[in-house]
Amino acid sequence: MAVATKKKAAPVSEAVVKFVLNGERYELSVQSNWTLRDVLHGKLGFTGAKEFCDRGACGACTTIVNGRPVLSCMTLAIECDGKTIESVEGIAKANHPLIEAYVMNHCMQCGYCTPGFVVTAKALLDKNPKPTEEDVKEALAGNLCRCGTYPRHIVAVLEASKKL
Amino acid sequence: MAIEITKEYEKIETEGKFVVEAHIPEITFNAIGKRGIRRLDGYEKATGAAKYTRDVQLIDMLCAKILDSPYPHARIKKMDTSKAETLPGVRAIVRYDDLEVKGVLLTGSYFGRSRDPAIAGGAGIKPICPLLGDEAWYEGQPLGVVVAADDEDIAKEALRLIDIEWEELPFVLDQEEALKPGAPILRPNAENNILPSSATIKRGDVEKGFKEADKIIEFKARRNAHLWAGAEPTSVVAAWRGEVLQIWVHQQRPYHARMKLAEFLNIPQNKITMYSLYQGGSFGERCNPGAYSENGINILATMLAKKTGKPVKLLYDRRENFWGESGDIMVSYFKVGAKKDGTITAVQMKNVFAVDMCTNGVDHFIENTKIPNLLVEDLVVDVNKGPAWWCRCEQLPNTLCFTLVFDHVAAELGLDPTEVALKNDGCEGHGLEHLSEYKRKHGYPDRDSLKECIEAGKKAIDWEEKWHKPGTKRLPNGRMHGIAFTWTHEWDDVRGTGSAAVLIESDGSVSVIAQQSDVGVNPWTAYCQIVADELGIRYEDVNIKPFDLDHGFALMSPDGSCCLVSNGIVVRKAAAKAKRMLLEKAAKTFRVKPEELDMKEGIIFVKADPTKKRLLKNIVERTLPSFDSCFEFTEPPIIAWAWHTQGIWGDAMETDRPRLCRQAHFMEVEVDTETGQIEVTRVVNVNDVGKAISPESVEGQQYGGTYMGVGRALAEEIVWDPRTGVRLNADLLNYKYATLLDCGPIDPIYLETGMGHGPYGTVGVAEDAATVIPALLGPAVYSAIGKWIDEYPITPDKVLKALGKI
Repeated sequence: MAVATKKKAAPVSEAVVKFVLNGERYELSVQSNWTLRDVLHGKLGFTGAKEFCDRGACGACTTIVNGRPVLSCMTLAIECDGKTIESVEGIAKANHPLIEAYVMNHCMQCGYCTPGFVVTAKALLDKNPKPTEEDVKEALAGNLCRCGTYPRHIVAVLEASKKL
Repeated sequence: MAIEITKEYEKIETEGKFVVEAHIPEITFNAIGKRGIRRLDGYEKATGAAKYTRDVQLIDMLCAKILDSPYPHARIKKMDTSKAETLPGVRAIVRYDDLEVKGVLLTGSYFGRSRDPAIAGGAGIKPICPLLGDEAWYEGQPLGVVVAADDEDIAKEALRLIDIEWEELPFVLDQEEALKPGAPILRPNAENNILPSSATIKRGDVEKGFKEADKIIEFKARRNAHLWAGAEPTSVVAAWRGEVLQIWVHQQRPYHARMKLAEFLNIPQNKITMYSLYQGGSFGERCNPGAYSENGINILATMLAKKTGKPVKLLYDRRENFWGESGDIMVSYFKVGAKKDGTITAVQMKNVFAVDMCTNGVDHFIENTKIPNLLVEDLVVDVNKGPAWWCRCEQLPNTLCFTLVFDHVAAELGLDPTEVALKNDGCEGHGLEHLSEYKRKHGYPDRDSLKECIEAGKKAIDWEEKWHKPGTKRLPNGRMHGIAFTWTHEWDDVRGTGSAAVLIESDGSVSVIAQQSDVGVNPWTAYCQIVADELGIRYEDVNIKPFDLDHGFALMSPDGSCCLVSNGIVVRKAAAKAKRMLLEKAAKTFRVKPEELDMKEGIIFVKADPTKKRLLKNIVERTLPSFDSCFEFTEPPIIAWAWHTQGIWGDAMETDRPRLCRQAHFMEVEVDTETGQIEVTRVVNVNDVGKAISPESVEGQQYGGTYMGVGRALAEEIVWDPRTGVRLNADLLNYKYATLLDCGPIDPIYLETGMGHGPYGTVGVAEDAATVIPALLGPAVYSAIGKWIDEYPITPDKVLKALGKI
């Protein structure tokens, strides 16, 4: 057993970034290796951006950046300076019809991937408020759900689109 | 003052024992069975507000990482941690040769080290392994050293800075290779690689059965390794608050985890506060209290938290989460005897499992057929792969063997497989008349569950129109069409023990008090539906907050393949008892006898004169667990608790619990004979669930499990490099499971015959489709191309090989 001496970690290059997240302004110092997910989840407490595959394979950490759904685990925080970001928490706060449609259509089982689906679906509806079933399938095909809730997402997104 | 002893313990024990009888509802269903009930966890999960263990962050929290073996079989000869120790931000390092861990083994049973596995009903820890050892039996095995640091990056960097001299040892990956002379022997002092869990099970006389048969069918099958790959990677957070340990675990069975941890580190159970937040997937991975990832890591995190005086989060990354595989890595040899009409006279199997077997392959022939002669030889063989374990679910070997035997028999005899199923339905060698007698004796409805399931499924998929001879139907798009059927019984009603309390709050709302680990099957909604209907209040007025084991009560998560079927009885009993207490109290206000009262939608009324009524909240408004002054109008709280134990291990007929509900599954595929690509275009699942408490949740398990099953059948496979023994696809880019586009429409159909052993006649549904569907792809592909591919997953290369194209 060895207990290390208490020293400060060596400095890593940092930069100050400013962005608008869920309508609020943020200004913070980020290290160059931090991902957007690290910042949202670990630093700002927006835990809806989940760590699932951790390598751009599952869509569970999807976040809308300047109108596009991006994988926040594959996006460096330092790149987000000046951007407008929307997370699932912002979508919920705005009471988007997707939320109620998701709840009532049982789109979640374990629920770990659900926020990523909601964000991906929101990005779709922002661009295409009246999607077809095929549009929804195409948009959500990159989100993994181990519980297999897939069929209900299609129903929920189409239902929400009618309420927009 | 004399205190009267009321024999309360005996009462609770007697009430809690499972009694064989039909569970005929005595209440009016209002919330139960209703569609459109708002699920309790829905809003939290949809909005990202739901917290999982991975999300837990505490002030000043450290991160801990354990070293993983880079070799499939190797020993640490020397380790130098000096560079890591001086890395800024490293707060503690524990090595395999430190006194506190040296020679310490994870042993015992699920229930703790001192409780013998035999007492635990065979629930012994497998595999027994060191807490922090110096020898690896598989690539990726945690061993050697654990580091706690200010963050994850520093912890990983510290591990990279550790110099290790390894002694590489010979390894073997394939279970049949491991049986050959000259194969490396993996365990010390062993003569061969055959593990003690190998077993032979015999019923009747297979040789006699083969003589009676018109046809003998022999074939070989293989299932390659796959695993849970749940959504949330493993983590545990431990923090000491004075003498009390607070620990957040990602586990289906936190109560076992607490018992084990308490014994291991000699902490009284009442000084451990254990939280089990939402569980990001589990599928059995998180219900093995013997597994290192649930047991070893809890101990190490707790030790590190003590040592550093700070909260410690020990976490696995995605690759580390590929630590094991399903207990159905198997090569199987079949010999089956059948008569021309489809009556199966004998089934003989030899199954060679790698690492471990989760079930024996023969159970379903015993539990739901009348086949009189059965013989299975199960060999469990050690290889250099991670621990094998239940994987939604442990019945995978049974459903694979069952489906393949029935579909091979039907194909060889040229019979409709649904007819072969009906011909052999039964229980433990007995025919349906035997089950009918049982049902009559115990008050169950006498319905032919399999026949009803098959009829419903055939209609939905248009079987009569679509079923054809194998390899004969080319579609206009050029692909070959296949259609297949399989069946089995519903096994999810087996066993389990749980406890819960129902508290009527002083505003008339109701709390269900118990810990329960959510794994996504929407159990809490179902408990609240049951409590609402049993009490006679609105569903919206019931809630459960089950994250904290300090409640003292704990309901089962689906850890014995049984969740609602056992827990539903617990909450039903607790609610019924609370209602009796409530009506006894209300009787004083109404000045009538309690039995003259009832409650509906939260209004208590005199049955004979419903105009005499009061709101529930007016009756209970003075029932206060606590009040900071003493007035004569304070009244005791209305709270009742119940305990229930559901069934015991053993053969169904011995324990008087034959499975009465059946399920039928149908699949259509299209096979591209040029590319070998298989498309699953349609699946119809028919489950006799006895009684559906939450219809949407039942359907969710039917289509959800289908996606998991289809992924397993088509693609899921862990691949090891044969030269190095290293996993090549321990990540979610290269380990492929089903996406939204990988399955056509799925029909979730359920029947409600009331023949389950659970509350109101329910049986389970959540393990079924994921477990049965994988095997069904083989018969479906056979139907399409006329060739059997009995090696799973059935990938395009195997299709092309079967067609002689490569």
